[in-house]
Amino acid sequence: MTQLDLAALDATAHRASLTQRRRQRNARVEPRGAREHTARERVEMLVDAGSFVEIAPLRTADGQGTGVVTGWGLVEGRGVVVIAHDAAVASGAIGAVFADAVVKAQRLGIDRGFPIVYLNDSGGARVPDGVFALHGCGEIFTQNVLAQRRVPQISVILGPCAGAAAYSPALTDWTIMVKGHGHMFLTGPDIVKAATGEDATADEIGGSQLHTVKSGVAHLEVPDEAAALAETRRLLSFLPSHAGAPMPFTEPVGPAPEAADALPFVVPEKASVVFDMNRVLDGVLDEGERFELMPQHARSVLTVLGRLDGRPVGIIANQPGARGGILDSAASVKAARFVEFCSRFGLPVLTFVDVPGFLPGTVEEGRGVITHGAKLLKAYIESSAPVLTVVVRKAYGGAYIAMGAKSLGADFQWAWSNAEIAVMGPGGAVTLLHRRALAAADDPIALRDELAAEYREEVARPYIAAESGIVDDVIVPEETRGRLSDALRMLTAGQG
Amino acid sequence: MIAARADIVANVWKIVVREGDPVNAGDELAVLESMKMEIPVIAPSGGYVVRIPVDEGQIVQEGDVVVEIDGTPGV
Repeated sequence: MTQLDLAALDATAHRASLTQRRRQRNARVEPRGAREHTARERVEMLVDAGSFVEIAPLRTADGQGTGVVTGWGLVEGRGVVVIAHDAAVASGAIGAVFADAVVKAQRLGIDRGFPIVYLNDSGGARVPDGVFALHGCGEIFTQNVLAQRRVPQISVILGPCAGAAAYSPALTDWTIMVKGHGHMFLTGPDIVKAATGEDATADEIGGSQLHTVKSGVAHLEVPDEAAALAETRRLLSFLPSHAGAPMPFTEPVGPAPEAADALPFVVPEKASVVFDMNRVLDGVLDEGERFELMPQHARSVLTVLGRLDGRPVGIIANQPGARGGILDSAASVKAARFVEFCSRFGLPVLTFVDVPGFLPGTVEEGRGVITHGAKLLKAYIESSAPVLTVVVRKAYGGAYIAMGAKSLGADFQWAWSNAEIAVMGPGGAVTLLHRRALAAADDPIALRDELAAEYREEVARPYIAAESGIVDDVIVPEETRGRLSDALRMLTAGQG
Repeated sequence: MIAARADIVANVWKIVVREGDPVNAGDELAVLESMKMEIPVIAPSGGYVVRIPVDEGQIVQEGDVVVEIDGTPGV
């Protein structure tokens, strides 16, 4: 058939009608307000160039489309399902048809094993749709939960997200918010004012600072839409497409030579002196990209995706450089969530321990630190992914257990030779154990220091733990990478 | 006015600066003791120390002001 024949065909009525419908549906509607990109443009920015295929592109609720762009594309050559709210249609409000389109895309991801990325920009349920809108929102939540055991889910908050548009992200794995534009709240400022009389701005009720620093509802704050979509791609690069799928390996590389050389000197001898745990990670992990989740929330514990021998791993580490590296309610929830995520997708959990304990006191007990700390215990106990734990300095009390101890099912646990593992720190322990001798002493402070030094050497040093088999071995820092690497090779043999 | 605050319930162990001292962002202003850890209080931005509302040995709660800074960074 010649070009001329084809052109003639295009003029036939049915072809012209299709062309017309497609043009109408894909017409670019100028983004509203401060938005820079339309829903389709956002999707195109997320996936590999030219790879997006829309599901049911002609579907419509009231002649304007469904209000949501759904489909699939490739990210670094791997399939992902994308669901992008279209704020140009009824403020992206979720109606019955919209919800059904979302559910169909979610089912594609779940049934065929592709990660689901939600680009959220929606005022919540569409009011005129009444109970049909609410029913649809509930169905989206149901698929969010069903997807949890099957595929990674990432929510990106690109505009004001109220009600259902804020709840769905809470049922997904990771939420990325654009500073100044992304908001998440049950209801916006006007309804808050009407309901309770409280005067608050959108930023105060649901801005990215509130959620990435204080509430922990969102897990990463980015400056703009392009960064949000780039970070989503980067996050996906550490994750398998679905539970049980092969891991996305990269070329194995060692740590940066200067970081590896510095490793034996990173941790200060004196247990009370703070340091940056990132330097330990630098000296052990593959050099190159890492992805820290919740970097601004509960900073006394680090949750990081990184690589060892090119294999993606999840790293939990106390951060002595922030609040002394303590565990509290927020840090426990953050760490538990991360361990649980790694377990679902088979990412080995590497735990680096230097913890002074659970923060005690009225404030923390009032926040329910017992319940929240228990979530961390449970996450480790239930982990089906390999768990490897390294005690790099001190590990006292319940916090020793909670940081991936052997008793919770760690596959292997090692301690550096300067480590201290005990029910409590030397100071507290001798005060308790030698109360009478200290009361009778001429110089109680000198006696206390002497007893504390004795306790540190005789009770807290890791040899007792190693001789009893509770830690697998006592090692020096520069042996860490080799031990982790050997263990992972064995534990993951036969897997992707 | 910029406040350097305690980020954890603690005992004020050492105050490193005095009122009137110039400081740069990142400087250590005081050291708190909590959970047997020496936790530094760092200047969030530069300026002059205008007020130190706590004494060594005092207990501070999370969020309490330890040092107040005002003025232009560095000297």
